[in-house]
Amino acid sequence: MMIRTDIAIAARNLARHTRRNVLLGSAIAGVTAMLVLLGGLTTGMREAMLQSATTLMTGHVNLAGFFKITSGTAAPIVAGWEKPWDAVKAQVPELTYAAPRGRGWAKAVADGVSMDLILAGVELDREPRFREVIQVVDGNLDELRKPGTILIFQDQAKRLGVKPGDTITLSAPTTRGASNTADVRIAAVARNIGLLSAFNAFIPAETLRHLYQLKAGTTGAVQIYLRDADDSAKVAARLRAALRDAGYRVMDPDPQPYWQKLMFKVNAEDWTGQKLDVTTWEDEMSFLSWIITAVTWLGNVLVTVLMVIVAVGIVNTLAIAIRERTREIGTLRAIGMQRSQVLRLTLLEAFLLGLAGALVGAMLGAAGAAALNAARIELPETMQYFLLQRNLHLAVHPGQVAVYVAFVTGLTTAAAIWPSAYAARLRPVTAMHHIG
Amino acid sequence: MRKLLLLALALLAVPRAALPLGQEETDKVIRTIDERERNSGDWKALVYMEAKEKDKTDVVYELVVYRRDKERKLLFLFLEPKTEQGKGYLRIDKNLWFYDPRVGRWERRTERERIGGTDTRRGDLDESRLAEEYVARWEQDEKLGKYEVHRILLTARPDVDVAFPTVRLWVDQATGNVLKRQEMALSGRLMRTAYYPRWKKVWSESKKSDVWYAEEMRFYDEVEKANQTLVLIKSIDLRPLDPNLFTKAWLESKSR
Repeated sequence: MMIRTDIAIAARNLARHTRRNVLLGSAIAGVTAMLVLLGGLTTGMREAMLQSATTLMTGHVNLAGFFKITSGTAAPIVAGWEKPWDAVKAQVPELTYAAPRGRGWAKAVADGVSMDLILAGVELDREPRFREVIQVVDGNLDELRKPGTILIFQDQAKRLGVKPGDTITLSAPTTRGASNTADVRIAAVARNIGLLSAFNAFIPAETLRHLYQLKAGTTGAVQIYLRDADDSAKVAARLRAALRDAGYRVMDPDPQPYWQKLMFKVNAEDWTGQKLDVTTWEDEMSFLSWIITAVTWLGNVLVTVLMVIVAVGIVNTLAIAIRERTREIGTLRAIGMQRSQVLRLTLLEAFLLGLAGALVGAMLGAAGAAALNAARIELPETMQYFLLQRNLHLAVHPGQVAVYVAFVTGLTTAAAIWPSAYAARLRPVTAMHHIG
Repeated sequence: MRKLLLLALALLAVPRAALPLGQEETDKVIRTIDERERNSGDWKALVYMEAKEKDKTDVVYELVVYRRDKERKLLFLFLEPKTEQGKGYLRIDKNLWFYDPRVGRWERRTERERIGGTDTRRGDLDESRLAEEYVARWEQDEKLGKYEVHRILLTARPDVDVAFPTVRLWVDQATGNVLKRQEMALSGRLMRTAYYPRWKKVWSESKKSDVWYAEEMRFYDEVEKANQTLVLIKSIDLRPLDPNLFTKAWLESKSR
C-alpha cells in the first residue's frame, strides 16, 4: 500500500517537470533503442553466420578427422565413417539429422582463368537444409545429384566466366600427392552468401572421392545437426568421450577450423593413421568470430559513451530537481517523513523515469529493427562479405530486449543514488529556510 | 638361301627409327639418364627461376640448392626477391620442411610441393630417380625438331608416391639427354610440359666422372595455359659442403 503511494507521488513529481523529464527520458530511450539495434545487428550476424555456416561449411557438431599416410602427408578424411558414427549416434538424442560431407581443395580452371576453391562433397538427399540456404539463381540444383557436376556461387561464376552447362576443370593432388583432374559441368549458380561463398563450392560426394581417389565410405566429416545449436559444445564433449570409450583415437578439443589444423598443426605432428576430431560449428567458424567480436566491441564502446553521458545527465538533472525542491523536502521532513522515505521517493522517481524511457526506447528500437528488416536494405558488397548477409537483418529477441530494459533502468536508478542521498541528508529547518 | 638373303637385305633397308626399342634397352636408356645426372658427393648450385603468371607481374627468384645425394639430403635457400629472402626448404629423411623467417615457423610440406608457388617442383632440382620411381615403356622413335629421339612412357611404380603418375619423355638418341617431358595427371590430362634445351656437364671428383645437368629448363603449365617458368642453373660447385648444413638451425641462422 505504502509503495503504491510512493509510486503515485513519484509519478506525480515526474509529471510536474514534464519538459526536463521528457528530455532526460528521451536520452534514456535513445540509448536503449541504440542498444536494441546494436544487439539486433550482432545477433542477426551471429544467426546469419550460424545458418549459412552450418549449411556451407559445418554441422552444429562434426565428427571429422585426419588420416596420415606418412607423418608429413595428412588428409581431412574419415575412412569408413559409418562405423564410428554408428558407435556413438545413440549418444545424441538431440539429433535432427546427420550427413557425410566430403572435404577438399582444388584449383578450378576455365578458359585460362583459375581460382582456388574449397570443395564440399554433398549427397543432396541426405541434406534437407541445403535447399533452405542455397538460393539458385541459374541452373538446376537437382543436377548436382549427377556425378561430374558442380554448384558455384555468383562471384565465382563471374570470375571464371562460366554459366550452367559449361565445363570447368578441377585440379588437385590426391591424398597420396599425385596430380589429378576432374572435368565438371556447372549444374547451378547460387546467390552469394558473404565471405563463405567466396571460396566454397559443392560437388557430388562421389565426384570428390574420385578426384581424391578415395574409397567408398570415406568422407570428410559427419555433419551433425541438432534441434538446438546451443547444445553443440555439450554434444561434442559427449561424442569425444564416447568415441574414446569405443577405442578410437580422438584429438583434443581445439577451437580452430579444420583447414587451419591441416595446414599448421596436423602436418607437423608425428603420427600416422586415422585420428578423429569432434568440432562444433563455432570451432569451424572461429576464423570469422573476430567480425562479431569487433562489431560487439564497437557497439559496446558506443553504448558505454552514451550511457556515461546519460548517467551524468541524470545525476545533474536530479541534483537540480532536488535543489529546486529543497523547501518541499524540508516540509515533508518537518511533517514526519523519514530520511529513508525521502531517499526511496527520489530513487523511485529515477527508476520510473528510467523504466519509462527504456520501455519507449526498446519499443522504438524493436520497431526500427522491424522497419529495417522490412525495407530489405541491400548491404554494400564489402559489408555483405563480412556480415554474411545480403540484406541487412537485425534479430531482436524479447528476452534480450528485457535484459537491455533492466540494464538501462538499473543504471538510471543507480545514477540517482548520490543526489537522492543528498536530499535525504537535508535537515528540515535548513531545507525550509532554503530560498531556491 | 636366297630368300634368307632377301629378308636380311629387307631388314637392313628398314629405317632405324622404325625398329622398336626392347624393354631392356628402354630400361637402359632410363638408367643412363639417372646415371649421367647422378652425383655421389655434394652439390651446390645457384638457381634462377623466372615465373610468369597471367595477370601478375613476372617474378624472378634466386635460390641456392644444396644436395648431398648419397644421404638424400636437400636444402633450398631463397636469396631473392626480398619478400622471399631467408625462406627455404629442407628435406630430412622423407619429409620436406618449409621455413618462413617472417613467422619463424617450420611447416611440413609434400615432396610434390611447387617450389615458391611456381611450376618448378622439388624433383626438378633434385637428383634424377626415374628408374626407381617409374616403369618405362618405349612408345616410338621420332623426330623432335632436328633431333632423333626415343619417346618413352613412364608409369609410376605401385606404392611410389610421385606428383605425376604418368610421364612421357623425349630422349635424344645421340646424347641420351632428355629434351622434352610431358607430365600427366591420374585422369590422363596433360598437366605440364618441360623442355630442356641446354645440357652441360661438370667433372665430379667423388664420382670420378662427368655429372650432367640441364642448364636451362622451361616449364609450361598445361592447365593454366598462361603460366610458365624458366629455370636456369648456374655456378655448380661439387666441393664438399659443411657437414652441419642440412639442419633446421643452419637455415634459420641464414635469416638472423
